[in-house]
Amino acid sequence: MADPLIIETTDLRKAYDGVEALRGLSLQVPAGAIFGFLGRNGAGKTTTIKVLLGMSRATSGEARVFGLAATSADASVDIRRRTGFVSEDKDLYGYMTVDEMIRFTAPFFPRWRADLQQRYLRVFELPLDRKVKALSRGMRTKLALLLALCRGADLLILDEPTSGLDPAMTEEVLQALVAHVAGEEMTVFFSSHQIAEVDQIADRVAIVDRGRIVVSGELDELRERYRRIRLVFDGDAPAAPLRAPGIVRTRRDGRVLTVLSSAGADPIVAEARALNPVSVDVAPVTLKEIFLETVTAED
Amino acid sequence: MLWYKSWLETRWRFLIGLGLLVLSASGIVLFYPEVMKLMPLVPTIDTNGVLGRRIREAAELQREYRGYVWSQWFRQTPSQMGTLFAVLLGSGNPLSSGSEDAALFTLSLPASRNRLLAVRAGTGLAELLALTFIPSLLIPMLSPAIGETYGLGSALVHGLCLFVAGAVFFSLAILLSTVFGDLWRPLMLACAVAVILGLAEILLRSQSMHGIFWLMSGESYFRRTGVPWAGLLVAAALSVSMLYGAAINIARRDF
Repeated sequence: MADPLIIETTDLRKAYDGVEALRGLSLQVPAGAIFGFLGRNGAGKTTTIKVLLGMSRATSGEARVFGLAATSADASVDIRRRTGFVSEDKDLYGYMTVDEMIRFTAPFFPRWRADLQQRYLRVFELPLDRKVKALSRGMRTKLALLLALCRGADLLILDEPTSGLDPAMTEEVLQALVAHVAGEEMTVFFSSHQIAEVDQIADRVAIVDRGRIVVSGELDELRERYRRIRLVFDGDAPAAPLRAPGIVRTRRDGRVLTVLSSAGADPIVAEARALNPVSVDVAPVTLKEIFLETVTAED
Repeated sequence: MLWYKSWLETRWRFLIGLGLLVLSASGIVLFYPEVMKLMPLVPTIDTNGVLGRRIREAAELQREYRGYVWSQWFRQTPSQMGTLFAVLLGSGNPLSSGSEDAALFTLSLPASRNRLLAVRAGTGLAELLALTFIPSLLIPMLSPAIGETYGLGSALVHGLCLFVAGAVFFSLAILLSTVFGDLWRPLMLACAVAVILGLAEILLRSQSMHGIFWLMSGESYFRRTGVPWAGLLVAAALSVSMLYGAAINIARRDF
């Protein structure tokens, strides 16, 4: 039986002052997934997260978290009680100390994990008596992460969790996240435009572009399905388009025809044989290539 | 814990306001003997013109201690400074007086927007209550030190007038803060409204008994025509309406 869906959106639309940030976004995040939500800046990632958490209201469409309607004010409170959240800028209350921030946040969450709080205070080396405004961006990210991880949440929503961090700090944060998820039964939904970090920790991914999902699935399955087929001909590559299913993009360059497929290589190779190529080369593609090809295909 | 957060966000405005008002109230009481020494000079002042009339009126009021306290304190200082601090207490993003992004952290908590706003407004009103009543109550407490007495009941009635009228400006600032989200625009706009209303009361003297500053000064109570219950009710209703408007605004707003 398929895992129940923790997040489900259907034809979600959101317009700000006439500009459509979401244009019919449909998304399914199953329980237990580490779900990477990949997209360029301004693709609609943060807007989606805000709608899921009741911070923004969708213009139309449906968004459900834990089966509850995110658009309902009452249900949204229940959703947030079971969700840990880290915003992109990790802005917390600058006038509070680290200790005050923790003591402020904990009472909102009945399942607050005091054991994890102690552990992460130690691991992250957070100074309890320092004001938040005096923390570096890296330390602020760690504090925001602590406040999200200790909520005892079933779902963790992270908006660009490593943005603005140096590579060492990024690695530290990602490792902490992976270690945490390994020990807890939870779903992680994180947005990023850093393909490497999605590749590193996600098991499922959705690529969003201009407010719509253009690719979605398990990462391993995507790697299995996507293939680059390079056909070399005696003369110029034929202009006639291939009709096999799953073609994402076709590029002609002199004698070479390069095809990106989202449905394996076999149907395309079979069709291409009829064109008498002198060589056929099939290669797997990386997540970075899938991302670049799908979002630029839209341009 | 939301109360604690609201307190941390507004405590300096409140404490500075309280300090200034307490100093002002104390000064007015303690300097009364010095003012009385100047009273023999009053007849020599030219009483022509508006300014002269005001001086003579003030001098007449100050011949007795009750009139002195009203003209120097309840009619002046809290109307100006109290209004300013009421506006200051209500200004700033109601979800977080820090940045808009810190407001996202607040919104990620399992608390409804109504609750967040109610706590912010409740904290501000409690602080305004302290700002209006503590200095007012200080007057009957300090008066024996200069050999005078001032009724506790009078101080309470004047404190009530100050609080209810001040709450109108506080609520206006809260309402504007749900529209603009920063500190300065609601502050400036609410102050501008206060200045316009104040000028209107000066220019339309015949209608001034319908004004918010007239209500704030408790003039009808001072002149023994009774507690201005109708005005207090209208002001309270106005405050409630603006806070309700603020709740609607914050519920509709996208962050």
